[in-house]
Amino acid sequence: MIITTKRDFQELMENIKNYKSFFLIGCSECAALCGTGGEPELKEMKEALEAEGKKVTGAFVAKTGCQVLGTKVELKPFKDALAGTECILIMSCGAGTQAAVELYEDKPVYPTNDTLFLGNMTRFQMFDERCSLCGKCILDKTGGICPITACPKGLLNGPCGGTNEGKCEVSPDIECAWVRIYNRMKRINKLEDMREIAKPKDWSAHKKPMKLNIREKKEEAKK
Amino acid sequence: MSFKNAFDSGKFVVTAEVGPPKGTDIKEMLHHAEMLKGKLDAVNVTDNQSAVMRICSMAICKLLLDMGLEPILQMTCRDRNRIGLQSDLLGASVLGIKNVLCMTGDHPNAGDHKEAKPVYDVESVQLLGIVNSLNNGKDMMGNEMKGSTDFFQGAVVTPEANPLEPQLMKFEKKVKAGAKFFQTQAIYDIEKFKEFMKFAKKFPVKILAGIVLLKSAGMANYMNKFVPGIRVPQDLIDEIKAAGKEGALDTGINIAARHIKQLKEEKICDGVHIMAIGAEDKVPAIMERAGLL
Ligand code: SF4
Ligand code: SF4
Repeated sequence: MIITTKRDFQELMENIKNYKSFFLIGCSECAALCGTGGEPELKEMKEALEAEGKKVTGAFVAKTGCQVLGTKVELKPFKDALAGTECILIMSCGAGTQAAVELYEDKPVYPTNDTLFLGNMTRFQMFDERCSLCGKCILDKTGGICPITACPKGLLNGPCGGTNEGKCEVSPDIECAWVRIYNRMKRINKLEDMREIAKPKDWSAHKKPMKLNIREKKEEAKK
Repeated sequence: MSFKNAFDSGKFVVTAEVGPPKGTDIKEMLHHAEMLKGKLDAVNVTDNQSAVMRICSMAICKLLLDMGLEPILQMTCRDRNRIGLQSDLLGASVLGIKNVLCMTGDHPNAGDHKEAKPVYDVESVQLLGIVNSLNNGKDMMGNEMKGSTDFFQGAVVTPEANPLEPQLMKFEKKVKAGAKFFQTQAIYDIEKFKEFMKFAKKFPVKILAGIVLLKSAGMANYMNKFVPGIRVPQDLIDEIKAAGKEGALDTGINIAARHIKQLKEEKICDGVHIMAIGAEDKVPAIMERAGLL
């Protein structure tokens, strides 16, 4: 899921100081699980804004805030509240914010969150980054542990000189990705694979902005 | 005699390090370089060491070259992508720089620009491969070039890394990728180093043992605690402590000289790389006491 954190409220207030009325949109998926855009957070935001003398014309937790058409349909009943607001606040991720920008072309849209990473939830409201969406997965070569993400340098050919008793040079809080990979490869009897030199990564597999059109692909396949 | 030829001649090879300063005042650095002139087989010029921004390695290499020293261009993958690295390698080549040390490089987190975007588009093993292709007249994509480089390329290794096996596997990769010489992380336990050399001798590469000058007992303790892959044995720390504050540096010089002497006399490795870290002016004293001058 996409991991978000709340932006500093004072910073947010500074950003929106010129507006008086707001409509809040959350998201029931990632943002709700991160505690940044579910029902309780929208309620909290509404109260905080009102305490600052602002008006909240409405609030809604979208099912999936990054789904443009779905969100559009869901928000139909809020047409008046949306028309009557000066500004829209998005309490999900950067993708959710930009979905709203696409839907409400004439309204200023502001994010209340910072978007951090694609995360695994290890326990309730505890998240780890394990994949950086590089576009060409190499997990098959690294025992299923991603060095592009887990190693701060994204090294592909083994530990750097900074590896220290299993910890990373960047922080003792980080387990050295390459010691983890080494241990895992040993366990699954694949250590010999670690001797193969990994070529420089093809970063063109992640050319921004990425796009995928499965429909088009299907249609092509039919032809 | 070039650095490469020094190895071929079979002599005990000695290198040391010059750290480019932060800012344009290079008087002190040039003074150190002048002191080292004629004594070393080559001198490393560090590349924004510890991720602290300084004068680039290539410019200082060129100055040293003009002074009559043989520079080793240290090149890390932290700050340049594959285009930048190759372009700089070609540039170094036309400036007459012959030796390059390929490293991954300390993370920006260690330095004075912590907000920098780390590059690491390629890393040490791949950079060695890149040097190899440039030496063979092609860029890393296989495009023909007009004129090739003629680098003597090396890499680094940490003989006391823990765990050791993945480090040795990486060493082998570096050899396969074309490394001709290695400069090691600081070693203080010669017996342990011998074990590493037993392994390293299986490969057709030259090994320079890393000698870091111990300036005080505090420095030794600090390295033991914070520098990965460095272990200063307690008896050396005690030896420095016994010398008192006044005598600490002198004892450190003695220890370095003693180790170098042993490495040379017992023919344990092909030479040494002396890192005096802020006390570059002591390198001649170390060499003298080791019987190298
Ligand atoms: S290699 Fe790592 S970053 Fe790339 S897709 Fe696989 S898990 Fe994600
Ligand atoms: S210590 Fe390990 S995880 Fe950290 S940068 Fe080096 S190889 Fe990567």
